[in-house]
This record gives sequence, structure tokens and C-alpha cells, in this order.
Amino acid sequence: MEKLMKQAEIKNSTEFFQRFSLQFRIQHIVLFISTTILIFTGIPLWCLSRPDFILWNSTCFELLGGLRGISLIHHCAAAALIVLSAYHLLYTIFSKTGRREFIDLLPGLKDVTDVMTNSLYFLGLTKKRPQFARYSYIEKFDYWAVYWGSVIMIVSGLVMLYPAQCAKYCPWLTFDLAAEIHAGEAILATLALFIWHFYNVHFNPSHFPGTLMWLHGRITKKQMIAEHPLEYEKMMQDQNPDSASSD
Amino acid sequence: MRVYKIGSMKKIFLFLSVSGLLLSLSAFADGERKLFGDHKSGSRSNAVHRIGLLNEEGDKISLDDDPLLPFSTKQTCGKCHNYETINKGWHFNAADENIPAGRPGQPWILTDAVTATQIPVSYRNWKGTYTPQQIGLTDWKFALMFGRHTPGGLGEDLEADPDFDARWIESGELEINCLACHDAESAHDQSKYPAQVSRQNFRWAAAATCAFAKASGSAKSMPRMYDYMMPGILDDPKLVPPAVSYDTSRFDDKGRVFLDVVSDIPNKRCYFCHSNIDVGDEKWSSDQDVHLEAGLSCVDCHSNGPDHNITRGYETESAHSNNPLAAVSSCRGCHLGDGNSDTPTAGRLGAPKPLHKGIPAVHFDKLTCTACHSGPWPEQNTIRTKTARAHALGAKGANLSDDALPHIIYPVFAKQHDGKIGPHKIVFPAFWGSLKDDKVTPLAAEIIAPVIRKILPDRKLLRSGDWMDLTEEQISKVLSSLKSGLTLPDIPVYISGGKIYSLDSNNKITAEVSDLAEPYKWPIAHNVRPASQSLGVRGCEDCHSAESPFYFGKVNIDSAVASAAGESMTMHQLHGADTDVYKPVSKFFKWLIIIVMALLILHITGDLFRRALKSRAD
Repeated sequence: MEKLMKQAEIKNSTEFFQRFSLQFRIQHIVLFISTTILIFTGIPLWCLSRPDFILWNSTCFELLGGLRGISLIHHCAAAALIVLSAYHLLYTIFSKTGRREFIDLLPGLKDVTDVMTNSLYFLGLTKKRPQFARYSYIEKFDYWAVYWGSVIMIVSGLVMLYPAQCAKYCPWLTFDLAAEIHAGEAILATLALFIWHFYNVHFNPSHFPGTLMWLHGRITKKQMIAEHPLEYEKMMQDQNPDSASSD
Repeated sequence: MRVYKIGSMKKIFLFLSVSGLLLSLSAFADGERKLFGDHKSGSRSNAVHRIGLLNEEGDKISLDDDPLLPFSTKQTCGKCHNYETINKGWHFNAADENIPAGRPGQPWILTDAVTATQIPVSYRNWKGTYTPQQIGLTDWKFALMFGRHTPGGLGEDLEADPDFDARWIESGELEINCLACHDAESAHDQSKYPAQVSRQNFRWAAAATCAFAKASGSAKSMPRMYDYMMPGILDDPKLVPPAVSYDTSRFDDKGRVFLDVVSDIPNKRCYFCHSNIDVGDEKWSSDQDVHLEAGLSCVDCHSNGPDHNITRGYETESAHSNNPLAAVSSCRGCHLGDGNSDTPTAGRLGAPKPLHKGIPAVHFDKLTCTACHSGPWPEQNTIRTKTARAHALGAKGANLSDDALPHIIYPVFAKQHDGKIGPHKIVFPAFWGSLKDDKVTPLAAEIIAPVIRKILPDRKLLRSGDWMDLTEEQISKVLSSLKSGLTLPDIPVYISGGKIYSLDSNNKITAEVSDLAEPYKWPIAHNVRPASQSLGVRGCEDCHSAESPFYFGKVNIDSAVASAAGESMTMHQLHGADTDVYKPVSKFFKWLIIIVMALLILHITGDLFRRALKSRAD
């Protein structure tokens, strides 16, 4: 926390705050690379048993080195996601920053009221937007969607990869069931990623065509005040407790 | 020491005697009485059968007999082998409702070119087949029509409705013909059997196939109540009564005959009823099953004990069969072993264990072994094939034309009874029927044939053995005629090529693709190709490509209706929809996606809407 504050102090002078640590950014980069690969190789694999898509699928196969090539790439990306997920779990348990981030990402009652207030704001029924802390309900939704999505995808994917071994310990979790879950969750995750997440970080008029926050982890003071006013307030208060209390 | 009185001893003796008698009777009643030949000898060598021949009455046949009577297998073989037990074996128990039908198998196919009929028939409860009773075939007619390619076991069912045309008395029964399978003599001529059946010489049929007997005459031309044991003099000198003669040199001085019968059935015996030939193909130009090439015989995998409960060789067979080898006689059973067995069972009969290296495990859940390994290499179009049972292959007088009915199409990759996709033979049912409560009952030949003859007098069996195509106008005429004759609310229909033809309220003909007309399919197992000719040997693209016959092969639709000529289905249409088991999961995700995405998009829209309002206000 102290480290973060120090960074914030430094960047404050140049109108920037260090929002995400290097650790967090690397994890995010691995996540989006592996997820993107998984999506683009997963679709042709999903289409394998759907003959209506075969012509389109054949082109994909040619581009990506045939079925074996696609499978290999998909499995490598999946391995990266598994390693990342395990690392992230350890990170949130053993790292101080990780624990803080995790706690900040836990949903609370305020998130419910924020959703309601924001809905009223969208409808023009109130002029006051909800004030967000370090993570808004939008970001928390993103995080937890990925969190549980990864768990579901990894487990169902492993069942599909090792159906016979799985049948020994968990006979009800069949290949077909895992495939159904894998496909359903993948479609949901893909749509949420490309529509919801991309809107919030790229196509949103405030951010269009996108921010580089994923790369450098910085946020401008203006954005900080606009999007995370409570965090900004808290940071200022932590930075200068006297002035904050006198305000 | 206990002293028994004589009276008590008598009582005990009486009790034991009665108990023993009752036990013997009950065992006899169950048909499980073990006779001399049913006991295990323990020897792997062959039992030599130098035996006396017995006639239908159980009397020993002597060359001096007048008239010479045909030997009865029931009596001759049944003397040492329990006939009733054998009668419960798979080849003979079709009509027994208590026998589980198991995996759908090859049906009998009733064909009639004049009425454009092709119906899969079976006594067994196989979905898509019709029982002989349903199509108006009595046991007599069934025996006459299909007895030619059976190992016998067909006789009069005294509990069934009487068939006044039946001539069981004159013909005799088609007893279980043990020699059809067990006679290893090269001169055994099974083709004589269909000839005898067509002459209604049922009781002479088995003898006629043997190297040491000849049958002549025809029971068909004999007068009613003709007694074969007292032939007498016939009014018409041209009529030749059925008779048998024996090669006297084959009888020894005790009147016994050497029967070269074996327990390990030679393949050629099986082939008489289980041969296939692809249309346009020749026997010499097509390879045999790899198992036969490797030196195995049919009965190595399809085996049975004295109960004749033969293994059919499919994976889930042990659920229906009490044959202890059923679990290990399928492809998987021999090559991979029975997973539930405490002892290693893989590699039976020297079966190599496949590695299937690099093939995702899902293939073994979704596909039968035969999908990749059996039948001809799939091409873009399905082909027609002929089978011994359907086309009377091997019988004298069978129509050898490529177009002869029935039209059997293969290889068709379709979902089978256990949900796996495998290669099948299919036959599109074609018949006139009455529709009631979403069920079609075929009309018996006696009903439809006169109508067709009256309305379409030019219809005939083509020389090729094919049917003449029907026009929709002709179908309409026949249906109109039937409509006036049928009792409402039955609707007369014609089924062919996967469609159901009926008349609408304006008496206009309509054709609809219907489940009621879907093809009957039965899995093929043979011929098994060498591993180097398996699907997938060239890579995943053998199936997973736009050109793959597995998904995109054309299944030619066989229809007797001219307007449906050239129609086809795509192979994947027969792969079957996913099972209902995971529908709730699928539905859950469907609604989860709809609800979540609707809410997220609503949120985005709200955000954009508010921004637009704000920018306008600014």
C-alpha cells in the first residue's frame, strides 16, 4: 500500500496515478492473449460437429494448420490460462497487493445501490452518478465473470481432454455434459468480452479508441476523479490526512 | 444307533422317488433336459456322427422302406441334442416375445413390385420394422416367403389365427435344419433348400441339401390332405409327389450314415444366409474381412454353447444376452477387453490392441469402432448392396439384376441404438397403409393388390426385378379408391422415399417428409478393413472437411415415386440430434446468455443514451 501511495505521489505531480502494478498488468496481458487464442481456436473446434459451418471452418483449418494445429494451439493457450489462474490464486493469497486487490474486488452492498443509482441516472431520473471507489461494479463484474468463467472452462476443458480418467472419479461428469458447459460458458464469455468489456474500455466515448492502461497501468487524474472519485478522495486523505479532515 | 422300521423306509423311498420324478419332469418341461450330446465331453476333437437316420415319427430309416421317408432333424439330431433348448437359440427364437430384441438387425424385407411395396419385417421388436402379423403374413406365408434363407425352425403356430390357405399337413414343418450350419461336407448344397421351400417340400428340404440324399417332386401340387406316408396313386400322372432317395453306399451294414457334422461351423455355411455383394461389384474383386484373412472364422467371434444363444458381437450385448462371451465378443471386447473384468481380457483370439495415438477420446464415445473400420471406404454417394436374405443370393432362380428389389443403401453413417454413430444399411419403406393416431398400419396384400390391379392394370414386375415408378396422379387415384373403402377415421396413405403421401380435404395429393416413413437402418459390422484403411488414417480431414463423405456424403433416397427421383439427404442429417440428457444444461446456458447479455446491452444503451442527453444539454 505504501509503495502504491508513493507511486501515486510521484505520478500525482505529473497528473497520473499508478492504478495497476506490473504483476497485475502481466497477468492481464497473459489473460487476454490466452483468452483471445482460446476463442479463435475454440470456435472452429466447436464447429467440428456442426456441419452447417464446415465450409467456413475448413478455411479456418487451412489458415491455422489443420485440426491438429488448431487443437495444439488451443491446448497451449489453455495451459497458459491454467498456469495464470493458479498463479493468480497464489498471488491473491500470498501477495499483500494481491490480497488488497482481491478485497477491493469483493462485491458489497454498495455495488447494489450503485447499480440502482446508475440505472436511475441512465433514465434521467437522477442527475447524480454513483461515486465509485477503486473498483466499480462494472469492473467487479468483469473480474468475477473471468474468475468463475475460468474455473468452469478449465474444469470442463480438462474433462473433455481426459474423459476416461474423469469417469473413474466422477462418472456423472461426462464428455457431453462438459462439452455443453464448455460451449455455453465460452459463448457467454466471448459475448461479454467483445460487447461489454470492449465497450467499457474501448468503445465507450470517454475512452475511444481505448486506453493503454493495460500496458502502463496509469490513469490520469481527471479520469481518476471522474471514474473513481472515492478512491481519489481516499488517496488524498491518506496522503494528507490533515487537509482532508479540515475539508 | 437309529433303527428304521421297514414302513418308514418305504415312505422315504416313495418320497424320494416322487421328488426325483417331479424334478425330472420339471426339468423336461423347461426344455433343459440334457441329452447325450448336450454334455461336455471335454475333448476338443470332433465328435464323429455315424448315426441312424430317423423319420418324423422317430422311426429309423431303412433303405428297404417303402416309401422312403425324409429324415427328420428334429428326431435324428434331437435324439442326442435337446431340440427344445436349441429352439430357444438366437436363430430360432425371433417369434418369442420374451426374448429381448437387442440391437436392431437385418430384417426380412417383403417386396412386391406391382404394389410398389418394400417393407422391413421382423418378429423382433425392432423399431421401424413391422411384424408379420401387422402386414397380414401368417406363419405359413412367412415360411413360404422367407423360409428359403433360414436354418429352419418355422412351423405352424397353433395359437395364431388359422390360415385356411396353409398346407402344413402336405408340406410338413421347416424343422430346425441343423445341417444348414453344421454340415461340413463339401457336397452339401444349401441352394437346394430354397428350391424345396418354393415347392412346399418343407419336410424334405433338409435332406435335399445333403450329399447323400436327393429330393424330387412337389408337395405344392399335391391335393389337400395328401399323406406323404401313404402316397397312393394320383389322378394326374403329370404330378410328381415329393419323395426322397438316398445314396445307398453311404449306409453301413447297421443302417447308419456318416454325417460330417462339426461344432465349429465352416464360414461357407454362414455365408449362405449372410452374404453381401455390392451392386456392380464382383465377389473376386472385393477383399474379405480382415479377421477372416487373419485366419479366424465366423464362429470364433459369433459363438455359443448347446443353447445356441449365439453372440451377435455388439458392445452392449451382455445386457440382453446370457452368453458369457457376449461381453468380450465385440470389437472392443476383443481388442480392448472388458473394462469390468477382474482379469485381463484384451487381445482375445490374438486381437492387437489399438493405440489410436493422437485421436481425441471423444471419438470413442461418439463413434462405433465400425465407423472407421468397417464397410466400404465411404464415397460421396451411397451405393446399393444386395444381401443373401433380402435378394435370395445363392438360390436358384434369384433375380441377379442390380436393380432387383429390395433396394438396400449403404454405407450410411447414422446414430444407432446406443447413441453412437456408425455405418448402417438402410431401406426406405414403401407401402400402402392406413394412418390412425399418428401410426401407419400397412395394408395387407389381399387388400391393396386387387385395388392396384383394378386401377393400374399395367403395373408389373420389371424384368430387372425393379418396380415401375408411380406418378403422384396414380397414387392419388389409388388413395381415392382406398378412401372410399376404409373405415373412418383411418386415412389411406402411401409411404415411400421417406415421405408420406395422402389426400388433403380437396382430394389433392400432398407429400410430407415424416418420421413414419423414415428408413429402417441396421448396423453393419463386416467387412472390417485393414487398420491402414481406417477412416482418419490420412488425418482428421478424412472426416473433418467439406468433402468428407462422413458428414457430406449424399444418401440416395430410394423412392417408388417418379417425382422424387434423384432426391438425396446429406449424411449428417442422419447423425441424429443430441440426446435429451443435457437439454436442461443447454437451455440453462441459452437463457443465461440471453438474460446476461440483454442486461449488459441495456446497460450500454443506457450509458450511451445518458451521454447523448448530456451532450445535447451541453
